[in-house]
Amino acid sequence: MKLLDTIGLGFDNLRRTKLRTFLTTLGVVIGIGALASMISFGTGMQKNITDTFKENDLFTSLYITSKKIDVEEMASGDLDNMANLLKQPSVALTDSTLQEIQCISGVEIAFPEIRFPVKVRFGDHETRTHLQALPAAMRSYKPYNEMMSGEFFDDDTSSTLVIRWETLKQMNLLVQDEIRPKRQSDGDTLNGLSIVRSDSIVGKPIEIVSAALDGSQLPSNPMLSFLNPDRPIIKESVTEFTVSGILQKSGTFSSNRLKGGIIVPLKAAGKIPRLGFSSVWELLGDMDEKNTYNSIYVRMKSMRDMEPVREKIEKMGLHVFSITDQLEEIKRGFLIMDAILGAIGTIALVVAALGIINTMIMSILERTREIGIMKAIGGSEGEIRMIFFIEAGTIGLIGAVFGLILGWIVTRIANMIANAQFLPPGEPSVDFFYFPLWLIFGAVAFSLVISLAAGLYPANRAARVNPVEALRHD
Amino acid sequence: MSLLQISQLSKIYRKGDIQIDALKDITFNVNQGAFVSIVGRSGSGKSTLLNLIGGLDTATSGHIIFNGKDLTRMKRSELAQHRRFSVGMVFQSFNLIPHRSALENVMLALTFGGIPRFQRRERATQLLSRVGLEQRLHHKPAELSGGEAQRVAIARALANSPAMLLPDEPTGNLDSTTAREIINLLQDLNRSQGVTIVMVTHEQDVAISVSSEVIRLLDGQIEQYDQTGEAP
Ligand SMILES: Nc1ncnc2c1ncn2[C@@H]1O[C@H](COP(=O)(O)OP(=O)(O)OP(=O)(O)O)[C@@H](O)[C@H]1O
Ligand SMILES: [Mg+2]
Repeated sequence: MKLLDTIGLGFDNLRRTKLRTFLTTLGVVIGIGALASMISFGTGMQKNITDTFKENDLFTSLYITSKKIDVEEMASGDLDNMANLLKQPSVALTDSTLQEIQCISGVEIAFPEIRFPVKVRFGDHETRTHLQALPAAMRSYKPYNEMMSGEFFDDDTSSTLVIRWETLKQMNLLVQDEIRPKRQSDGDTLNGLSIVRSDSIVGKPIEIVSAALDGSQLPSNPMLSFLNPDRPIIKESVTEFTVSGILQKSGTFSSNRLKGGIIVPLKAAGKIPRLGFSSVWELLGDMDEKNTYNSIYVRMKSMRDMEPVREKIEKMGLHVFSITDQLEEIKRGFLIMDAILGAIGTIALVVAALGIINTMIMSILERTREIGIMKAIGGSEGEIRMIFFIEAGTIGLIGAVFGLILGWIVTRIANMIANAQFLPPGEPSVDFFYFPLWLIFGAVAFSLVISLAAGLYPANRAARVNPVEALRHD
Repeated sequence: MSLLQISQLSKIYRKGDIQIDALKDITFNVNQGAFVSIVGRSGSGKSTLLNLIGGLDTATSGHIIFNGKDLTRMKRSELAQHRRFSVGMVFQSFNLIPHRSALENVMLALTFGGIPRFQRRERATQLLSRVGLEQRLHHKPAELSGGEAQRVAIARALANSPAMLLPDEPTGNLDSTTAREIINLLQDLNRSQGVTIVMVTHEQDVAISVSSEVIRLLDGQIEQYDQTGEAP
């Protein structure tokens, strides 16, 4: 018998018991729907985070420090340990180290990491944020090459800065999106925000207020200053800058908190008075050496350069930290989450498989005589097994297709609700669910495998029907 | 030349401690074109013998050589081929598939025989015409009389042109007039198409009137073997 005819016979049987076939298939639809939406959620979360990593070039970034940063030990809060870490011998990060690193092949750009808390003042508007210093060369890299308005500074010494859209919003200044001016001017006037045009910000002066030690007030014994609040040792100093550009609003998952709210040219940032201890390293580390950096940021040309560059820098006696080290841990976490989500979905599918087994055994009991007839007129065991396999497989296949559709609809609705519930209004919407191609094909394959496995026993039972017994007079 | 040679054939059923000798040391030959009737009391082993020849069941010992090939040495898949192409079984209770029309019942046998889809309908129509049912092609078994249903069963048995028909009490559920018609049909097939027939029947006189040989079974053994003289 030809395969097409076997398929035809399998379909005949399904068609004859429409309601039962429908209900059994519905079980698979729900099972696959549950599994697909669960995994789609896990995958969506993972994708959002990896995309953020990519967007922020974390896969091609290394952070160089002179001392080893052990995140775990720092988290443990063991002060003795931390003190020991600080005492470890180290190579200072100086300009010459920087130059050396820049010359390593595979390095795209390297610059010292300078980042400290400041207040920004624009007219009457003021907010606290972090200042980040970047070389002008960064203007050709993402995301700095796509400014919302104005442009990235092109001179490391100029007193111009780039401000993030979010920082302006913090200051109650909502910059109109020039592409869609209508939409935002309609809705977002509330909450005390004032809508401004970008040209009323770009090119305008802005003040950076930083805190610095007042040398003239510094007593010989610092403890005394705390006893004498009239003579504060810390004073505020104001530096004038000009806004050269506004940086695009970034996605919800972007780690803005890791970056600065304002970006200042590298050399210009050095001239801003500040307290030395924006980090514990600076406070406790050797302060006497001029022009040493806490850390250097290195960006590779591609991910392939990561390992060779890392080795070379480590040979220089420096310590290298990359977020991708942590990614392994994150990935393991996701694996566990995926496994749990997948297990829940699989339970649903196993229940559906029991439904298939039940339906098929019922159908075989009802059709014992028919199976006997088919054997008597020449049906072989293989053909009869195949007919039942095709029935089970068809239920699995149709169930998978509609299950995926169901899962997709459910995740769309869930995504809409989640976006409305958890994201502040005005933020770009986030896709919490992701249906990659492998999930679609995987779900179909999995459903087929499960339903065929469910059909295995019934199909064999059908194949082994004894025709003599099946055909004995009723 | 014998189409079927049966020698020392035995079939023992075991039910726990009880052993039933359904067939004991059966030996006989059936020539090409013969019409053999098997008679005997209920439980004498008639159906068991027919099922063994039809490849539906397997013997305990002995040999069934059909067209030179020994059924007792065949694999299950080879037995399926035997059932499909070499023999056609007809049962007392018709055993048609209830949800399929007469035409579809015959077409199913053609499907197993590997006949291409486009030829099946025409061939099934021919077969049903051959048994006088051209007016009943689309009737379901429940819409057919007993005699018509048995004709459909015969048409189905003939579907893959078997060398031998194996009717097991084909007239058992029919009134005597209809029974006679079915017997006449079988006789006609035997004479005009040369189909060899080995039939189980209760009716002694029918057996004698149409058969070339009559085999009488008693408790699983051949009690009497009659050559009625009409051997071809
Ligand atoms: N599957 C089985 N298990 C046990 N015993 C069986 C089985 N099939 C048949 N028998 C026994 O074998 C013997 C022969 O049975 P068989 O059906 O061949 O008789 P029969 O001559 O066809 O009878 P009838 O005229 O009533 O159809 C009987 O005693 C029967 O009980
Ligand atoms: Mg019988």
